[in-house]
Amino acid sequence: MTQPIIEFEHVAMQYGDNVVLKSIDLEIESGKFYTLLGSSGSGKTTILRLMAGFLTPTAGNIYFEGKNINNVPPEKRRINTVFQNYALFPNMNVFENVAFGMTLKGKSKREMTEKVSEMLALVKLSGYEDREISELSGGQQQRVAIARALANEPEILVLDEPLSALDYKLRKTMQYELRNIQQRLGITFVFVTHDQEEALAMSDWIFVMDDGEILQNGTPVDIYDAPINHFVAEFIGESNIIPGVMREDYLVAFAGKEFENVDGGMRPNEPVEVVLRPEDLDLVDVSEGKLVVTIDDESFRGDYYEITAHDDDQNHWQVQATNSAEVGQRYGLYFDPEDIHIMRLNESEEDFDARLEQYEEEEAPDASD
Amino acid sequence: MKHKAASLYLIFVFVVMYLPIFYLIFYSFNAGDYMNNFSGFSLEHYRTLFSDYRLMRILANTFIIALLSALFATLIGTFGALGIYHTRRRGTRNTLLSLNNILIVSPDVIIGASFLILFTLIGMKLGFLSVLLAHIAFSIPIVVLMVLPRLNEMNPALIDAAHDLGANDYQVLSQIVLPYAWPGILSGFFMAITYSLDDFAVTFFVTGNGFSTLSIEIYSRARQGIDLSINALSTLMFLVSLVLIVIYYFLSTYQQRGSKKKRTLGTAVR
Repeated sequence: MTQPIIEFEHVAMQYGDNVVLKSIDLEIESGKFYTLLGSSGSGKTTILRLMAGFLTPTAGNIYFEGKNINNVPPEKRRINTVFQNYALFPNMNVFENVAFGMTLKGKSKREMTEKVSEMLALVKLSGYEDREISELSGGQQQRVAIARALANEPEILVLDEPLSALDYKLRKTMQYELRNIQQRLGITFVFVTHDQEEALAMSDWIFVMDDGEILQNGTPVDIYDAPINHFVAEFIGESNIIPGVMREDYLVAFAGKEFENVDGGMRPNEPVEVVLRPEDLDLVDVSEGKLVVTIDDESFRGDYYEITAHDDDQNHWQVQATNSAEVGQRYGLYFDPEDIHIMRLNESEEDFDARLEQYEEEEAPDASD
Repeated sequence: MKHKAASLYLIFVFVVMYLPIFYLIFYSFNAGDYMNNFSGFSLEHYRTLFSDYRLMRILANTFIIALLSALFATLIGTFGALGIYHTRRRGTRNTLLSLNNILIVSPDVIIGASFLILFTLIGMKLGFLSVLLAHIAFSIPIVVLMVLPRLNEMNPALIDAAHDLGANDYQVLSQIVLPYAWPGILSGFFMAITYSLDDFAVTFFVTGNGFSTLSIEIYSRARQGIDLSINALSTLMFLVSLVLIVIYYFLSTYQQRGSKKKRTLGTAVR
């Protein structure tokens, strides 16, 4: 493995008695798109400010390419920031804003003009050099802020909820463009958001945070398909979480029945939580279903129907179906063994990863997709 | 109907406020020597005013004091405001601000008297310097009060952003913070000038023999009966204040006009 560009080693942050970060360990590799995902107050912005150098950790070490940068001020770090409220300089126009970093470095006029037009082209604002900041829309200001940070040629670009103030459609476009920019320039992006959809759509790697800790990190697919605990499962997308018991490897009991599944490595008869994603569930005839449910409610969501139902044990189920269902009717509920994901109670991330690796190896020879 | 009444009332208020001044201005052009009958137009009183070298010198003193004290007060007050702005602890900040405001609220007589006591205590000669120091001192809180809200209005992320892009503390101050606070600094400067120009009480205490400002001089002359050359002087002062206000107006709207000009240019090119 290559040397990480940024490494956090037992980094903690507290203000007086208020602990914001508890011993964070993380590694950021060069050239990837990372996302810190968490609700407000989870400490994700604090991590960002520690990376950019606006804060000094109260404990632990931060390394940039192997060198400790705990006390290096932000102006000396090759990391630039896109701020939540853009923080464009109101007394300067677009050109002066984007060229600000270069002006400080004493670059030549021609070099600056070239770089600014290159950066503005990158964010699709060519020809906007002479505009005043007050004349720009929110989306345009966002682009100028990105251009300004990138014009400084950082190794890492950190973005603090940059899309939260934009409307839905613009946010979608910007997600796509940011991802595109990152891939074209090949520099590392660290993106902070509370929007799980955004995180899943853009990232190579996601850190899910809560209450000053990293709960789980992994690729979007890993985190979505195999959340480590109740919190992550609820936070990343919609899910049905049902208490169950792991009878033995690959056999779980919930909702009064036993089901074949693909998880293992637990004690026999260990109480667990079972996760089933609403889009993995299908409504079929009662005779074909693994469970029988009664439809409570249905709402139309454009590309699918959101259906709520309950089974005979009074567990509630959410189902996303392409076809409408009749309220009050009984249907069969069908899912495949691999749709079932098992979460142990209070399992640490290391144990979780170790267990996953272990039974995936065992399974590998006879596994079929 | 309602609008008419409102505007009539507004006109009435302005007439009442400006009537005495226009009365004064009107009689400055009187050929006679008194303010009760207008006997004909003449610039006689302006002639006596300009040939009154003592008064001219005092006029110059007054403006020098006003400009110098405003300049120093703006400098010190701006940095004072920055100091208060950067004070992290809320209690300390509020205390500093209250100490600043007390100076504005407390009567001029008390400030004047305390300056007199201070200057005599340290054995300073009363005259130009004592008046200048006193004027600087009472103008500083006004500048602080003008600059601080502007700083508080500023998005603190701007400072972070400037550091982030490679600016050191001095560059952040000179290129981001001061330009942002500029309108506040400017109005602080002009307020300091007007406070200095029309101060009577403090100056009365701290001035000594041989040094006088306009307000002191007019006061001492008025006790011997108004000479119409004072009217002429007041007229000129009124015009000067008018010019000051116009200058301030243009300076404070300069940035907006600048951007508008750029905008029309930009669209013309496109």
